[in-house]
Amino acid sequence: MSESDKSLRSPLGRARYLGSARRGSQDAWLTHVSAAALVVLASGFVLMLLTLLSKDYNGVRAELGHPFPAILTLLFALVATFHMHIGMRSIILDYVHGHAREWALIANICFAGAVALACVYAVLRIGFV
Amino acid sequence: MASSDPISPSPAARPLSPHLGIYRFTLTMAMSIGHRITGAGLYVGALLLAWFLLAASMDASAFAYFSGFIQSFFGRLILFGFTWALFQHLLGGVRHLIMDAGYGMDDPEREQMAQATLIGGFVLTLVVWAIGYAVR
Repeated sequence: MSESDKSLRSPLGRARYLGSARRGSQDAWLTHVSAAALVVLASGFVLMLLTLLSKDYNGVRAELGHPFPAILTLLFALVATFHMHIGMRSIILDYVHGHAREWALIANICFAGAVALACVYAVLRIGFV
Repeated sequence: MASSDPISPSPAARPLSPHLGIYRFTLTMAMSIGHRITGAGLYVGALLLAWFLLAASMDASAFAYFSGFIQSFFGRLILFGFTWALFQHLLGGVRHLIMDAGYGMDDPEREQMAQATLIGGFVLTLVVWAIGYAVR
């Protein structure tokens, strides 16, 4: 590891050439970054849910109408759906072969996108309508 | 697999190196595959999150329908499973992040981290549900 004394690049950055797929390391990086963010966001969201348990319909809407719970929910929903899309993509690439492969990958994006948009729509509707 | 399909011709049947049949089943192995399985479960369970938020954004009867489901025995069972899957996957993810950084691959850390993931998942689930029952 004496090269690390001279080079400012990380070992990952100094890996030579591209693999046959020409891409893939960004999946790992995005997975790691979204995972680290989700440790905080998911914990925060669970804590927020615990405060919502004692509230009724109007109480829940009032809480989600405030900026901090709304933004926390939006961040959690967006980062979680992004993270789950990458994760499911790995599962599909590992186990699905042949003709079903492309359809499964497309369905994965559609599902994650639909869940994300549904959550965004709901939170914005609570806040502004 | 289509054998006459030009896009994906079936591969010739060659012998594979053995995998599942020969490895001793270890806790680290179980936590790794459990990480993937809980991830897939959470993927489906995201629908529950979307349903909750959409129900809250609609009228009171839509929210009452969601409330009725989530408070039923079946609903609570699903929610409990979802909570456990969340914490199991979260702790497993932390374990994988630690190992991806290069740490914790030797004895005894390797086994200890796997045990901490499994035990921690159950503990966090029970703690959160105990708090939930206390505050509702």
